[in-house]
Amino acid sequence: MDNLTVSSSPHITSPVSSTRKIMFDVIIALCPLVIAAVLFFGYHVLINVLSCVAFCVVFETLYHMTAKKSFNKKGILSSPASDLSCVVTAIILALNLPATISVWGLNIVSGGQVIFSFDTVIVCALGSLFAIVLVKQLFGGIGKNFANPALAARAFLFLTFSSAFVVSQTIGLGFEASTGATWLSGNGETTGDVLLRLLIGNVGSGAVGETCVIAILIGYIYLSVRKVIDFRIPLMIIGWSALFALLFDGLIAKGLGGVDLIFNMLAHVLSGGLLFGSVFMATDYATTPNTFKGNCIFCFGVALFTMLIRVFASFPEGVSFAILIMNCVTPLIDKYVYPKPFGYVKPKKEVAKK
Amino acid sequence: MRKLFKGGIHPSACKGLTDRCAIEVMPSPAIVAIPISQHIGKPAKVVVEVGQEVKMGQLIAQCDGAISANIFSSVSGKVKEIKVLPTPTGACEHIVIENDGNDEEVRLQPIENPDSDSVVDRLVSAGIIGMGGAGFPAGVKFRPTSPVDTLVVNAAECEPYVNCDNRIMIEYASEFIDGVKLLMTAGKVNKAYIAVEDNKPLAIKTLNDYLTENEIDDIVVSVLKTKYPQGSEKHIIYSATGRVVPLGSLPASVGVIVTNTHTALSTHYAVREGIPLYKRIMTVTGEGITTPKNVWVSGGTSYNQVIDFCGGTKEGKRVVKMISGGPMMGFAVAGGVYACGKTTSCIILMTDGEAFTGAPSACINCGRCAKACPMNLMPMYMDAYSRVGDWDGAVKYGLNACIECGCCTYVCPAKRTLVQSFRLAKRELRGRKK
Repeated sequence: MDNLTVSSSPHITSPVSSTRKIMFDVIIALCPLVIAAVLFFGYHVLINVLSCVAFCVVFETLYHMTAKKSFNKKGILSSPASDLSCVVTAIILALNLPATISVWGLNIVSGGQVIFSFDTVIVCALGSLFAIVLVKQLFGGIGKNFANPALAARAFLFLTFSSAFVVSQTIGLGFEASTGATWLSGNGETTGDVLLRLLIGNVGSGAVGETCVIAILIGYIYLSVRKVIDFRIPLMIIGWSALFALLFDGLIAKGLGGVDLIFNMLAHVLSGGLLFGSVFMATDYATTPNTFKGNCIFCFGVALFTMLIRVFASFPEGVSFAILIMNCVTPLIDKYVYPKPFGYVKPKKEVAKK
Repeated sequence: MRKLFKGGIHPSACKGLTDRCAIEVMPSPAIVAIPISQHIGKPAKVVVEVGQEVKMGQLIAQCDGAISANIFSSVSGKVKEIKVLPTPTGACEHIVIENDGNDEEVRLQPIENPDSDSVVDRLVSAGIIGMGGAGFPAGVKFRPTSPVDTLVVNAAECEPYVNCDNRIMIEYASEFIDGVKLLMTAGKVNKAYIAVEDNKPLAIKTLNDYLTENEIDDIVVSVLKTKYPQGSEKHIIYSATGRVVPLGSLPASVGVIVTNTHTALSTHYAVREGIPLYKRIMTVTGEGITTPKNVWVSGGTSYNQVIDFCGGTKEGKRVVKMISGGPMMGFAVAGGVYACGKTTSCIILMTDGEAFTGAPSACINCGRCAKACPMNLMPMYMDAYSRVGDWDGAVKYGLNACIECGCCTYVCPAKRTLVQSFRLAKRELRGRKK
C-alpha cells in the first residue's frame, strides 16, 4: 500500500460523464444530418465535412503547440483536439455551408458538372481557421469562447463571400429536383405541398445541414434522451418564433388570415436554420446562460431577433445572427440571473432606530 | 410529510460489499493511541500521567470549555506516553496506552429514571458526540436555545459504501429505539422521525416490526428516496418534516434536533449501562480489502490494525486511495497510521478502478454542477471566481451556502476539483474576517 493518493473529497466521479463522451454524443446526433445532406446534395457535402474536420483538428493542434511552445510529439499528443469539441465545431460548420461555393473558379469540371471544388475546400479552411483560432482559442479555448465558433465562422464566410453563398442544387431523391429559391427568400405561396417538402428537406437551401427537418428531429431526440441538451431550449425558441412569425410576418407584414396564417407560421418554423440552430447551436454550453431562467431570456431573444431580421431586415435568414447577438448578451444574463440558495431568506430591511 | 429536495446525485451505492455482514467485535490491540480531539471544538484536557494505570472506560481527557467532549480509555493498561501524532485533518496529542489484556472495566452509574436533565448530563459526562462525521458534542445540541418539538434521527446513510448505521438498525433495533426515546426525553420532544433511505429495506422492516410489536407511536420510520446527499442536515430535515432551515441558522430555529443513528445507540449504553463512548461500529470496505466487514473497534486502534483484522489488502489489487469516512465527504489519508476515533465511520481501500485520480480539464460551462447542487448554487462561477481570488464574486454565487457535499465535482465532465477550490476559498475568507 504505497503511493496512496491524497486529495480533497469526493473520491469517486460519475462514470458516465466526460467532455469527450458529451462531444461524441453530439457527433452521433449530427450523423443523421450529414447523411441527409449527402443524400440531398451529393458527395460534395462529405468532402466539406471531412475537410472541415481535418482543418479544425490541425488548427487546434497547431495553436496548442504554438501556445505551449512544444513542437514535438508530446505537443501533438496533448492536443485539446482529443476532447472532440473541435470535431463538433467542424461538422456544424460544414453543415452551415452550401454544398459547393464558387469564388475563384478553381474547380475540376467535367461535362458541365463540378466534380471537385478547390474553392469550397479553401473556404472550409478559412472558416475553420476563423472558428478555431480566432473565436475559440484566442478567447481561452473550450468553454471560454464568447460566441459559437461554427456560427461565427459561418457569419464571417457569409458576409465575406455573400454572392457565392448561392442556393445549392438538390439532386432529387425521388422528388423533382428543386432548383428554386428557398421559401424564405422567395414569395411563393404556402401550401401543404410546400410544407411537406420543407419537412422532408427537398428544397434548395443556403446551408446543407438545415434542410432535413426529420434528421434534425432525430438528432434532437437523441440529445434530449442522452440529457446532453436541455430539451426545453429548442421548444422555447420554436414556440416564441412561431408566435413572432404569426405576429410580425403573418399579421403585420402580409396581413394573412385563416389557414394561410397558420401555414405561413409553420413554413417559418420549418424553413431556414431555425430548427438546426435551436437544437445544435442555441444549446451550446459555453455561449448560453447556465440557469433555466437565463435560458428563457436567451430563447426569447433568439426568437425575437430571428423574426425581426427575417421579416423587417434585408437578409432572408436571421437565425445565426440572432444566436450570435444573444451569445454576446449571455454573460450579462448570467451576471443578473442566478438561483437563490436552498433556505434563502430575504434579508430584512433594518428599521431605522429613532 | 415526504418531500424531495432539488438537485442531488445517484452514485452507485457500492453497499453490497458489507450490507449483509453481521457486526463483529475486533479484539482490542496491544497498544492504542487515543487522540484527545475527536470532536468539533476545543481538544480535551489530558487528566492522566505517563506511567499511570488506567481501566477500560476511565476518563483520560476531560471536556475543556463549552464545546468539547470527554475522552475515555478503550483498554485497561498503562499510559506509555503522551505525544503529538498526526490525524487525518492535522495533528493533536494522543494518549498511548499499553493494553494489559485484562479488560478491567469501570462504568458510570446507570440512570434509573431518566429525565431530560439527567440524560443531557450523561451525554456530556459520557463524551457523546454526533457520530455521523462532524462530531458536534451532543450535550450542547440537546440544550437548544429555541424551543424544539421534533427529533430527526439521521439514518439515511447516503454515502456509498458505508453500512454501519444500516447494520445497527438491523442488529441493535431495540437498543437503538431505546436510545432514540432517551434522546427524545433529553430534548423534551414528543415526536421523532427515523429518516432512512429506501435502499435499506431490511432495516426499515426491522424497525417497523419492532415499533408495532411494542406499540410505540411517537417514533415514525420516515422512508426517504435514495438520493445523495439525503443525509445532509438541512436536506434530511426537509425530507422528513418538510421544514426549511434558513441559511445560516441551526436546525433548532425550525424546532428540530438532528442526531445520528450511532449517537442514539451510544446514548442507550451510556444511560442504561453506564458505558461511556470509547468504541464504535465502523465499516471496513472497498475493492482493496480482503474481507470487508462491519466491526466494533476500540478508540485509538490504528487503521492498519483494523485493516489487518479484515485480512489486509486483497492480493493482486493495487490500492490507490485510503479513505477515512465515506467516498463523497471523507478524507483521503496517506497511510494507515492514524487512530480510529468517535467519528471514524468507515475505512475504504479504493483500487484503481474505483477512485478517480485523473487530472482536471477546462470547464466547458455545461451547467451540470448547478443542476446537481442540492443547495441550488452555481458551482462553475464559484470555482471560476475563487480561482482568481475574487471572493465577492464567489460569495455572490453561493460560496457561503456550500455544504461541500461533492455533487458538483461528482458530475463534472471535465473532472474539475470544485469542492477543493471552495474549501480553499472558504478558508481564505475565514482568514480575512479575523
